Amino acid sequence: MARRATDWFRLLLRFAFAGLAGRRGRSGLTILGMAIGTASVVGVVSIGLLGREYVVSLIEGVGSNLVFTYAHSRSVDPEWIDFDDVGAFRRIPGVRDLAPVLIDSQVMSVRGQAQPVDVLGTTPAYARVRNMVLVAGRFVTDQEESSGEKVAVLSQDLAQLLAGTTGVGGWIRLYDLRFRVVGVYKEGVESAAAVQKSEAAGVTAIVPLSTLRSLSQRRAVDVVYMQARTPDAVAGVVRGVTEVLRTRHRDVNNFEVQSLDQYLVLARKVSDTLTLVLIAIAAISLLVGGIGIMNIMLITVTERTRDIGIRLALGAHRRDILMQFLLEAGILSFAGGVVGIAIGAGVPLYLGAIYHVEVPVSSLSVLIAFLVSVAVGVFFGLYPARRAAAMNIVDALGYE
Amino acid sequence: MTAPAPEATPARVIRMANVAKTYGRNGANVAALRGIDLAIREGEFVAIMGRSGSGKSTLLHIIGLIDTEYEGSYWLDGRLVSGRTAEELATLRNRTIGFVFQTFLLLPQMTILENAELPALYARDRSPQECRAIARARLEEMGLGHRLDHKPGELSIGQRQRAAIARALVNRPRVLLADEPTGALDSRTADEILDIFARLHRDGATIVMVTHDPDVAAAAERIIHVRDGQTSDGLV
Ligand SMILES: Nc1ncnc2c1ncn2[C@@H]1O[C@H](COP(=O)(O)OP(=O)(O)O)[C@@H](O)[C@H]1O
Ligand SMILES: [Mg+2]
Repeated sequence: MARRATDWFRLLLRFAFAGLAGRRGRSGLTILGMAIGTASVVGVVSIGLLGREYVVSLIEGVGSNLVFTYAHSRSVDPEWIDFDDVGAFRRIPGVRDLAPVLIDSQVMSVRGQAQPVDVLGTTPAYARVRNMVLVAGRFVTDQEESSGEKVAVLSQDLAQLLAGTTGVGGWIRLYDLRFRVVGVYKEGVESAAAVQKSEAAGVTAIVPLSTLRSLSQRRAVDVVYMQARTPDAVAGVVRGVTEVLRTRHRDVNNFEVQSLDQYLVLARKVSDTLTLVLIAIAAISLLVGGIGIMNIMLITVTERTRDIGIRLALGAHRRDILMQFLLEAGILSFAGGVVGIAIGAGVPLYLGAIYHVEVPVSSLSVLIAFLVSVAVGVFFGLYPARRAAAMNIVDALGYE
Repeated sequence: MTAPAPEATPARVIRMANVAKTYGRNGANVAALRGIDLAIREGEFVAIMGRSGSGKSTLLHIIGLIDTEYEGSYWLDGRLVSGRTAEELATLRNRTIGFVFQTFLLLPQMTILENAELPALYARDRSPQECRAIARARLEEMGLGHRLDHKPGELSIGQRQRAAIARALVNRPRVLLADEPTGALDSRTADEILDIFARLHRDGATIVMVTHDPDVAAAAERIIHVRDGQTSDGLV
């Protein structure tokens, strides 16, 4: 004859809400405690994701689908990458763009002072492959490369040193010759050094490769940058480059062939671990919120002893009482979860909108944080609810 | 413990054999009841009378199934109830017993209509609307039709006790139990409540009322005396 379970649930929900309504202030504070816990977890995941994206963007900023190779100079009889190698690299399937780099040193005179300068000879592809950003002017053109023009693109550091004496459209002296300054660059990401010290950093001038080869004695290629067509092609290009070096040189171990993948994997692993640690810390505040619920429910059960006794005397089942108080705890943690998510996701999104940053909010983390906070509330509500349901009826009625 | 089942005719709503109760498990033990034998027939209006501390309330709690820790046998409506599970007792209490207390024990934060419908709601066999309609009808019978949305604190004590009686009658219980129902009332209001009991009795209700006051007990048709946890006149 018993009516449907949903009716029963609705009835106890009504009792639970009535119970909570009788102590709005305390319920509000308990919800706040729970909300802080939930918000911390959601917020921490956002911070973790943001950090991860930032580190990954630093690494990817060095160059998209980048593969690079260089010789170790530490061996006794070093072998170098030469231009025949570069030609072979160019024929590897999957290589879209390629930029060999020759590095030479020169001393310039800046306001009468000697200033050492790294001179990079490279092809126009370098700007694309390495994600160079032009601050002023332009980069070396194919035309200038093929005819070996004496033009230079300055690093920002060098441009600053020369500020007031020369700039884009002006001239500098290298190899006792006049080079026309056509542009000023900076690197796509400042901290490419996170991966490796960048040859383009510091006081540097980039000139056409053909120009440098005609002026400098250096023939060894210091580093070759290649851009694979797709992220999936990166591994194939690494294998192809290694194969070329193996067939054309005595000792392939003399060379380093790298892509950014290994750095990306490492960076992701490190930031994921860090995020997990942060979540664990945030989870403590969720735990504290849960203890807050247990505390408030224990007080409630004690205060409502007579109420509970009356209900039992009127024929309430123990499970009715248990469920009523479990629902009260559940409603508190549910509300705490909702408010917590609103704060934990809303604040980062709001700040992101103000500062024009794309803030990642993981819907999975929101869902998990919500479920966990409700579960925490019900778990910590269980003990007080059991106490309520297990009461001795006569004692509870306040008889002596 | 295993007393032979007495002639459990349907006419005997309450039957107890050798019921004993001791408070306190160890140390200072108080023997509140020591071998109660009693029988109450359907439709009787019985007063359980005795001095304060004689064990009347303890007895009524056992009759009302809210105290289950006792020795001896108790048949309610012909069924042995001693040793049943808490679940069974809750259902039985809800359908068979109506309680009226000295201090009313209404829930102060609820209206008397909400109070009165509680036993019907916990019965779980009617819709909320039906429960409300029955509770309203009982309160109207008690002359409280114009006070349905009032909370107990907004009513006179006589009205509060009438609301409590309405609540006790909502599920049409087999027995109405009252523990010093007039104890907190002035004599005029007390008479009012006793009149209600008399009217219910005329309409066929079985009523068991605990009191220490001979004048109040006189309203019943039969008196069972409790002295030091024992009855001499519990069996008819
Ligand atoms: N919860 C209790 N714990 C210990 N002793 C109790 C308790 N309730 C009642 N008593 C004792 O049991 C005896 C009977 O009490 P009670 O049934 O309340 O008597 P009455 O209702 O007739 O005044 C008294 O001596 C009382 O002190
Ligand atoms: Mg008493």
